[in-house]
Amino acid sequence: MKRPLSFLAVAALAALVALPVAAQNKLHLYNWNNYIAPETIKRFEEQCKCEVVQTYYSDNEELLAKLAAGAKGYDVLVPTSNAVQALIRGNQLKPLDASKLPNMKNVDPVFMNTKFDPGNKFSVPYAMSTTILGYNDQKMKELGLPTDTWAVIFDPKYLEKVKGRVTVLDSANELFAAALIYLGYSPNSTDEKQWKEAADLIKKAKPYWAAFNASSYIKELTVGNIWLVHGYSNDIFQAGLDAKAAKRPFQILQGMPKEGAVLAVDNMVVHKDAPRPDLAHQFINFMLDGKNSAELTNLIGSGNPNTAAAQYIKPELKALPAVFPPKETQAKLHQLTDLTAAQRRTRNRMWTEVKAGK
Amino acid sequence: MAQPRRNWGKWITSGPPLVYLLVFFAVPTLIMVLASFRTPGEFGGLAPLRNEDGSLDLTLESYVRFATEPLYWQIFLKSFWYAIATTLACLVLAYPLAMLIARSDRRYRDLLLLLVILPFWSNFLIRVYAWMIILGPNAAFARVVNGVLGAFGIEPVSLLFSAFAVLVCLVYVHLPFMVLPLYANLEKHDSTLLDAAQDLGANAWQRFWRITFPLSLPGVYAGAALVFIPAFGIFAIPDILGGPNDSLIGNVIKQQFLETRDWPFGSVLSIVLTVLALLIAGFAAWVGKRGVARLAAGDA
Repeated sequence: MKRPLSFLAVAALAALVALPVAAQNKLHLYNWNNYIAPETIKRFEEQCKCEVVQTYYSDNEELLAKLAAGAKGYDVLVPTSNAVQALIRGNQLKPLDASKLPNMKNVDPVFMNTKFDPGNKFSVPYAMSTTILGYNDQKMKELGLPTDTWAVIFDPKYLEKVKGRVTVLDSANELFAAALIYLGYSPNSTDEKQWKEAADLIKKAKPYWAAFNASSYIKELTVGNIWLVHGYSNDIFQAGLDAKAAKRPFQILQGMPKEGAVLAVDNMVVHKDAPRPDLAHQFINFMLDGKNSAELTNLIGSGNPNTAAAQYIKPELKALPAVFPPKETQAKLHQLTDLTAAQRRTRNRMWTEVKAGK
Repeated sequence: MAQPRRNWGKWITSGPPLVYLLVFFAVPTLIMVLASFRTPGEFGGLAPLRNEDGSLDLTLESYVRFATEPLYWQIFLKSFWYAIATTLACLVLAYPLAMLIARSDRRYRDLLLLLVILPFWSNFLIRVYAWMIILGPNAAFARVVNGVLGAFGIEPVSLLFSAFAVLVCLVYVHLPFMVLPLYANLEKHDSTLLDAAQDLGANAWQRFWRITFPLSLPGVYAGAALVFIPAFGIFAIPDILGGPNDSLIGNVIKQQFLETRDWPFGSVLSIVLTVLALLIAGFAAWVGKRGVARLAAGDA
């Protein structure tokens, strides 16, 4: 996900933000930036005779930090599964009333009843993305580089051909996960020895990377400054659309590494202090409707766990393996689990060292 | 009866700013100090203050971790050099500019000052993003630089995502903070001093070095502090323009509050940053005072 807003997060932390809590006819949706089409919002507003007030976050950490600092007034949030796990553990959510969510039946059972929220007591899948490779097809062809393996961002043999034209996500979770997958380990490994190996792999590849970047790589890909990225499927989809709209001589494509990748399922949850849980349930049920859910995919290129949405999705999107992974790829996609506080400390120590080291 | 009334007036005028500082500076600082002795919560935030047996959960763990890890000292040192380089570059660029404005015709001064603060009219982040475009490999600037390097047979360099980009932007963003205090100081100089020096046979350099510069030192220190302190803790510029080696202490602190959800350690790093900035500013002021005294004594 893009994170240009994250600079504000630190300020927000200190401020202990509290939205005015009034029982007006308003639904407060705290969502990722660019994660719902305005058309969809408008239709919901007509149906519920209410107003949707959207505020945005640009990564799960920002959402968690804000809520941990005591932010109130939100009805519906859309965190990724591992953040749902953290929110449940932190007692931040209100249980869902399944009787008010008849459309829950539309969700593909594969995405229900996961270890993050057994029995879906608190959360329902909204949309998903994968963390994959994005590339400039012209340049990669010219250089004869593969686009279906993590080796291309970790192995100096390939990297020296694209030195200074590669960015990786500025996220310890995502980058360690990619490195662990490439090394043949589970991205959820908590074995410090394997983490150390991953850190060494990253350190060796780092001199070839242009930057750790999670905010501007979409633009850099689109204008042709950067040729290869480790990034989110939605973002790379967006870069592809932008490059096409700007009539660039190259295409920006998605590459699904054969070793596997991280899958992020984002879920709708209701905050424990939601001023309007009734509207929250109405909204969740509305978004689980096939047609509304399909708009998420058609307009922003996110993967869709909703079986009723399939018939409304554009065929060219259905053909993208990073958006709709075929069965054999699905088996290699992993959702990240939340680390404990002690593990996060150890991991951050390694990450700081990776970033500070020469 | 006159005395209490005068006191009232004093409190009414100084009260609101005092309360403001107390609430928005002292209280957050206190929260940070308290947080630094606590344990991170599993979910994020802080673990409960009381353990299950009712004892207080306060620990020096985060301080011990900081003190025993040279890694964090190295990052502080790196940030220190970036901040020093920024301060020096700002000083060198701002001094002639401030002098030019201070000595220009009174009619144009306000306009020139306005031009200095003009960049503040657009948002800080937007200005930083603008540098991405200026320094991008396909922009005219990078092409000219690499064209010149190429003529000498040097491989093209990437300007964006580099220490160079970070420093250029740090200087750009902080320059007005150096110009304004310098101008405020230089503008007050009594020009008859320079005339007198000239009459006594001092050349231009001597007039500058023995009269203008010593008199301007308070402005130099004010500007240096205004540039050094924010540059020391900055995180947005290295985040946006930095390469893989340009992570500074501000970035590490930001990570503690967001990605790692380790508020106690983030608080320790912030406290160290604040204390170091104060020490450095204090040391510079002390050296400066001695310098002024020596210059005034005439042994320069």
